[in-house]
Amino acid sequence: MATYTPTVEIGLDRMRDMARGDFDLAWMDSNPAGWGHEVRRSKVGLNLTDVDRGFYGEVPEHGSSHGTMAPRGCHVPDGTISLDQYTLSEMSEIWADNAASLYDEAVVRQWNSVTDIPWDKLEKLPEDMEKAVCQMCTGLTEVEFVAGDMPAKWLCRINHDFHEVKLFLATQIMDEARHMDVFRKRALANGGGLLMASPGQEELLAAILNAPDYATASALMHIFGEGFVLTLFRQGEFLAPTEVEKKIFSLCMQDEARHVAYGVKHLKYLLERHPERESEIHSILEVGEQAIFSLTLEPQTSEPRAILAGGGLDNIELGMARMAFIYEKQVHEYLQRLKVAGIDRESSLSIPREIPFDELAA
Amino acid sequence: MAVSKLFPSTDWFGKLAASMEEDQKTYTQLGPMDCAMIVRVLDPERGERNFEVVFEALSVTSIREVEDYSAAISEHFVIQGSLETWKEMIENIHANDGPDLEHTLNYLTFPGDPMQVSGPDQLQVDAFYRYNQSIQKFFNAASEIETTYG
Repeated sequence: MATYTPTVEIGLDRMRDMARGDFDLAWMDSNPAGWGHEVRRSKVGLNLTDVDRGFYGEVPEHGSSHGTMAPRGCHVPDGTISLDQYTLSEMSEIWADNAASLYDEAVVRQWNSVTDIPWDKLEKLPEDMEKAVCQMCTGLTEVEFVAGDMPAKWLCRINHDFHEVKLFLATQIMDEARHMDVFRKRALANGGGLLMASPGQEELLAAILNAPDYATASALMHIFGEGFVLTLFRQGEFLAPTEVEKKIFSLCMQDEARHVAYGVKHLKYLLERHPERESEIHSILEVGEQAIFSLTLEPQTSEPRAILAGGGLDNIELGMARMAFIYEKQVHEYLQRLKVAGIDRESSLSIPREIPFDELAA
Repeated sequence: MAVSKLFPSTDWFGKLAASMEEDQKTYTQLGPMDCAMIVRVLDPERGERNFEVVFEALSVTSIREVEDYSAAISEHFVIQGSLETWKEMIENIHANDGPDLEHTLNYLTFPGDPMQVSGPDQLQVDAFYRYNQSIQKFFNAASEIETTYG
């Protein structure tokens, strides 16, 4: 008879026991507190918020110390090995009260760039307009996946007791994959192509990816970065020359607003429990403000939008004047979101509230 | 024969809500939404009028005219425009079976002129962005209504 490793031999012994009718069945009574759970479905189906109630809705302030992937609420047998991965085990570091509902919202509101965009309605545009659209899409293709890379960097560090946040961040990664994909497709789909990358954007991206911890990275990305991009998506819908861009930007806008909603509620949750961290948040936001200001004025970022707003290269100055309000809108909404999160940054804002375009032009 | 409805009125919004009920497949694909929208109509003759439409999942759960924002659900966003602007948007939706590029809600509100979006706080305003496609679809049902104004 063949000999096997001790591990296999133990397994074979156990199989012999079972073949003789000697079953363990201890798992059946392992979690009496979690058995008999009652769920009421919502009108649209079964939400995460419908099942994670009562016993299963109790989220610990400090994530479990066993360090496993065992789902919150189950029985974890003694001797289960720790994976030694989960360094984000404080609820305040990652939690947002809307994470579960945003996850439900995100999974239902998924779309795809293959069949949901009316690509057949692409129209041949004048070259200056096509170049403007392609440059705008080049910039968005470049910037969008930072909101995938950043949560991916931290996701494997988040304690499994906080599955609502992990699941939501997973949807965000998928959202950003779709954004990167759809803007690349648009740039390449209409006879144009990708144009110039943005050194200014890379500064901001580096600040997000190199943030020292998840909470500061989230404040910089979810509230600051995605808030500013949300306005750009609204602008993209406004400037869209065809139904194709209209659809792309309006769908991306919805996704981005979910990410911002998580970021605001997360920062609020953090600061309510750790007000001493506000100064760190201010510091990282200042880094972002400085980066975004130079980015806003970068030709490859501002000029394509001015061409689209003016209706062509001949009217780029008119377009620039028409779109001057964008920056002010971005800053205003940024400050208002921080206010909801509990941060007053009105007095410490490190960039102008508006760009006095008329004065500069004069 | 289509019965005409007056805009703005609870009846008119009720017609949109009924259309939403009849088209659950599309709204399910778009995704559920939980929010309250106040449509504010600035009428030079009748002054300002506010209509609160509450969405829950895939349906409208209540429609009412409210005196002002203080009488409305505390968490809401407001879409405001003159009667003339609302009329132009509705007529455009009616004529094209949906808005053209220059008559979507986002297009009309983004520059702050001719329409505005506001709310008690920025997260409430952001709900308008989050559910934009569903809200646009809701108004697109205006294509099925013979609308009078006043």
